[in-house]
Order: sequence, then structure tokens, then C-alpha cells
Amino acid sequence: MKRSFFLFLLFSLAISVVLFWAGCSKGPESNTFKIGVITSLTGSNAAFGQAHKNGYTIALQEINARGGLLGKKVELDYYDDQSRPDQAVQGVSKLVDQDHVPIVLGAYSSESTRAIVPVVTQKQVPLIIPTAVADNVMESNSPWIFRICAGSGSFAAATLDFLKNNGDPRKLAIVYENTNFGQANNKSMTAAAAAAGLDLVDTEAYQASSPDYKSLLQRVKGKNPEAIYFASYLLDASTLMRQSEQLNLNPKYYTSAGTGFAAAEFPTADKGAGKYAEYTFSVSQWLPSAKWKGSAEFDQKYFALAGSHPAYHAMEAYAVLIAAAAAIDIAKSDQPAAIRDAIKQLNLAETPFGPVKFDARGQNLHPVLVTQVQDGQYKVVWPLDAAESKPIVPAPEWSKRK
Amino acid sequence: MLNWFYIPLQGILNGLLTGALYALIGMGMALIFGVMRIVNFAHGAFLMMGMYATYVVFQATGVSPYYQFPLAGVLLFFVGYATYMGLLRPIRGQVDFMVILLTMGLALILTDAAQLVFGADYHQINIPLLSKNIHIGPQISINAPWLVSFGIAMVLACALYWVVTQTMFGRAARAIAQNPYAAPLMGINVNRVQAIAFGIGSAAAGISGALLLPVFYLFPEVGNQFKLKSFVMVVLGGMGSIQGAAIAGLVLGVVESLTSLYWGNEWALAVDFVLFILVLSLKPSGIFGSQRA
Repeated sequence: MKRSFFLFLLFSLAISVVLFWAGCSKGPESNTFKIGVITSLTGSNAAFGQAHKNGYTIALQEINARGGLLGKKVELDYYDDQSRPDQAVQGVSKLVDQDHVPIVLGAYSSESTRAIVPVVTQKQVPLIIPTAVADNVMESNSPWIFRICAGSGSFAAATLDFLKNNGDPRKLAIVYENTNFGQANNKSMTAAAAAAGLDLVDTEAYQASSPDYKSLLQRVKGKNPEAIYFASYLLDASTLMRQSEQLNLNPKYYTSAGTGFAAAEFPTADKGAGKYAEYTFSVSQWLPSAKWKGSAEFDQKYFALAGSHPAYHAMEAYAVLIAAAAAIDIAKSDQPAAIRDAIKQLNLAETPFGPVKFDARGQNLHPVLVTQVQDGQYKVVWPLDAAESKPIVPAPEWSKRK
Repeated sequence: MLNWFYIPLQGILNGLLTGALYALIGMGMALIFGVMRIVNFAHGAFLMMGMYATYVVFQATGVSPYYQFPLAGVLLFFVGYATYMGLLRPIRGQVDFMVILLTMGLALILTDAAQLVFGADYHQINIPLLSKNIHIGPQISINAPWLVSFGIAMVLACALYWVVTQTMFGRAARAIAQNPYAAPLMGINVNRVQAIAFGIGSAAAGISGALLLPVFYLFPEVGNQFKLKSFVMVVLGGMGSIQGAAIAGLVLGVVESLTSLYWGNEWALAVDFVLFILVLSLKPSGIFGSQRA
């Protein structure tokens, strides 16, 4: 008797909670404007997710300081994909079906982004992609997908252009993480290298987050490449460089598809590869020293917020939110289709990330820079008109470094 | 020059260095499995706790993990002991599935607790030893911290073996493993011995974590991959045989390293589990174990 009464109470409590929730999310007179964000706040890509969050936070403060959107205060509705694609897909459902956001920004990794592209397309909500460089995230030709960063094809082209003009090595090896990000960069670089007539002596895929890559690096060493092109996230980038030193692997050029090799933490000793990062080249999409107006201010705000300087991942998060806000202002609507049409017309001549304008496929044509770690700092070394310092080539052999 | 000789030799050495850490992790798991027939899904989480404990002490005092690893061992011994007494003992005698769920739940709680306390961000430490490499001849090089870890892990593995085969506790533990019903009739305090065994097994995971910290990095979910590997070792080594698990650890390290060297790194993990399935289906008593009743 007592027990069934208790169960009944529990049941009615559950019902009322559900009803209350449903009432909340459907409430028309909320005075905030919600924008959905999916990123990796936990899991192995948490460092990048945190950079994303800092970038979004800065953009959000700027937008709300200007009075928000459509007369409402803007609020970011975060969903943490835990660095896992299946969770990113869940995130779209939660943000769109439950929270009714009219636009989604994210995800962090190419793997997660690739997973959510069909879902946002099906739910007919615009997605602006900040950081996913794998070119296959744009392959669906969905009218709902926009990407602000340059892709893996541009990364390969910029790297080869740099190499051609700085010693022109002929023997190349590719080492990539066996995920969408790595595979896409491998594919792009393989094609670009063949077109440029380079001799691709070795291609190595690896399983992320292993403690030991020495055998892999030893294979690479056996093939004796002049240049290596890495596609790695931060944790593995650090391990790979440390163990390259342990095996005395000495290519003339350590190049990379950004990401781990371009993270703000990578040249630091406590969170990255420290001195083993020295002389590595990386493609980059933005640096605090970039010539675009507002770059230095973003750097200052970021430093005040996070206590460290931003890498391009944070800037790309900032840029997608700025672009989304501009589009919503143009659309003067909180309907996904109207916002999508406004993003298509968007033409921002001046943002701290450079001009933002999406082509017919939804791709923002963003230039790619090449940087080198020199004395623990990323320095732009290519193209020449943007270069801050001269590239140091070839990289000194490990035994000759101090 | 002699590349056909040096390259595989370096591969085998690398494999042994990693394998020694695997061995220690696997021995802890095997001890627990052998004495209690418990599959401890929290083994990886215990390793992660050992890493965090070592990390915290290192940040506070700057003492190298190679000197302070016993602390992680002592801490995890008590964690293991308490886990047995508080959580596992009350459900002894129930279906095995309960134990699996319980240790899985414990692993989730520990992982999420680490995430709450330390954040999801990863950490690494820097000690001067990391940049020391020992060169043998022109071709072979060994990173000093891996060698030190190897040495410590091997000494501890031998000590654990000695404890299990030569001491009164070890005899009692093996008696329970052989026949959990006859052992108490012979005057063995089963609960106490099992609690100590669980503690020692957990301590092995904690110490492995401490030794792994300098050469790896640390995040709340770091234990998962090692937990999976320790299952493979327990099966390869023959379901609860400690020396079997130790040898299996070394073998696994070398197999992974050579697979990675000759086929590519993406196959290394696959080979682990192919071995696992083959042994389970073809020779369930394990490669190095003899079938126990």
C-alpha cells in the first residue's frame, strides 16, 4: 500500500517535470536568442574545444555589447560532443528538436563534423563549420552547409608551394591519424604531390593516442624522406616529435597540416612538445600577428580571458559566430531558411579573420599561411608578402641541436 | 649496414620497453582474476588514479615519478582494499554479471570524478631525464625514461611473483584460486586474503600509471586502452596466471611494435584483438597457461 502510493507520487512528479520542460522549450516569449554550438569540451580534443569556447565567448560579448540580435540578448547553447562523432549527432537532435535553435555552429573535429552534415541537412538548419579541414565535409553540396576555414586541399597546395620555393625536396613521406581529418589530408597531399611530380616514399596511418610511435617513425626513417607531412591532433603531435628525436629521425623538413602542430600549446614544454617543436612547419589560417584589422584586439581579449595567446582554432570559432550574427541581422528573422539565405549573401569585407564570403558551394575562400616554430614562437614564413621571418631550412639534425 | 639486423632489433627493444609496463598492468589484473574470478573493469580507472596521484605529488614537490611511484602504489592498495571490503564483498556469491556491472560503474564514477576535479584537459610532466637517449652503436637508441620504467616494472613483476609463489599470503591466495570452498576449511580467511589481493592488484595498476606518466600524457579516460589490453593479457597468459600475464605483456609489446614496424601502426591494435579472439576460441587455457579446473 505504502509502496504503491510512493510509486504513484514518483510517477506524477516525473510527469509534471516532463510537462514543465515541454512548456519551457516551446515558450514563444523567451527574450533570448539561442544559437546552437557543438564542440569538444571533453575528451581527447578538449584543448581545442576550450579554444573554441574562448573564441565564441569573445564574439558573444561583442555581439551582446552591441545590443544582441533582433532586440534579444544572445545566448549560446553548448553541446559537448566529448570528441566523439556519435555524440555530435545527438547534439544536433538536442539543439534543434528540443531547444529549437535556428542555426548550429561546429563541430570541432572533421570526424564529428562529417557526422552532423547529413543530420542538419535533414533537419533543415544552417550549419557554419569553423575548423573541420577535411574536404569531404563539403562534398554533400547541401545548401545548409557553410565552412569558414580553408580545407585540406588548400593545406596541401600551400605546403607544396612553400617547399618548391625553399629547397624543393623531392622525397616526401605522409604520416596521418587514421580519422576523417587525417585521411582527408593524406588524400589531398597524395594527389597534390603526384601532380607536382614528387616521389611519395612512404604513407603511414596511425591509431590516435598511443604511447609509442617509435616503430612507425622507424619505418619512415627506413624510407629516408627529405620532407615529412604530418596530419595529427595535439597529443600525438607532441609524442611524434619527442619520439622523432629519440630515434634520431632527421628529414630536412618537418611539415604538417596545422591542427596539433599549430596549436598554441604545441611549442610549450608543459602542454606540448617544447623544444622538440622547434623548426617544424605548419599551415595556419590565422595568427595574432595577422594583418587583418581586429586581430591584435582579439589577441588581447583572448589573453585577458584565457591567460594565453590564441591559435587559429579560437579565431575561427569567433569568426563563425560573427558571421552568423551578421547573417541574422540581415535576415531580420529567427527562421532557419531565412538565416540560410542571408548567409549565402553575406559579404563581410573586414573581420579579424579576413574577408568572409561564401562561394556557391558554401566555402569561404580563406588564404593559407605557412608558419615555422622559431624560438618557441610561430612565425609566418610563407607566402612572402605575409612573411615575418625567413624559414630555417634544413632543420638541424637532432644531435646538433642544443 | 646490417639494417636487416638493427631495425628489427630496435623494434623488439621498443616492444619490450612498452611491454614491461603492460606486464605490470596485466599482472595486477591477473592476480585479481585468479584469486577472485572477478573481471575488474575498474582496472584502467585505477591506473588513471595512479597517474593523477603521481601528477599531483609531482606538481606539489617536483619529485620525479621514478622516486615517488611507491606512493601511488600505497594509495591504490588502500583504494583496492576498500573497494573490495565496501563494494565487492557484499555482493560476493551473486551472479558474476553484478560484479562486472559494479566495477564498470565504479570506473565511470572514477573517470567522471577525475574530470570534475582536474577537468577534461590533458596534462603532461617534464623531467630532465626525458631528453636523455642512450645510443648503442650507430643504429640502436633507447630513451632513458622508458629504460628506467622497464627496470622498475621488471623488479616489481619479480617481487609480485615472489609474493604469490613464496609467501604465506601467496599460498593462501593460490589455495583460494584452486578451490574457494575448500580454502576456508583449511583455515584461510578468504575475505582478508581476497581484499589484500585486490589491493595488490590495484596497486600494480597504480604504479604502472606512475611509471607511464613521464612518457605519456594524462587525461581522465587514459585508462581505457590499457584496460582493454589487460584483458588481452589475462587471456593470453592463461586466465589468472600471474607469470603468464607478465610474459603475455612483454609478448604483446613486441607483437605491437613489430606489427607497427612491418605492417603499419594502424594494424597494431587489430592484431592485439585478433590474438585475443584466436586464443579464446582455439586455446582458452591461454598460450602460457595450463587449464585449471
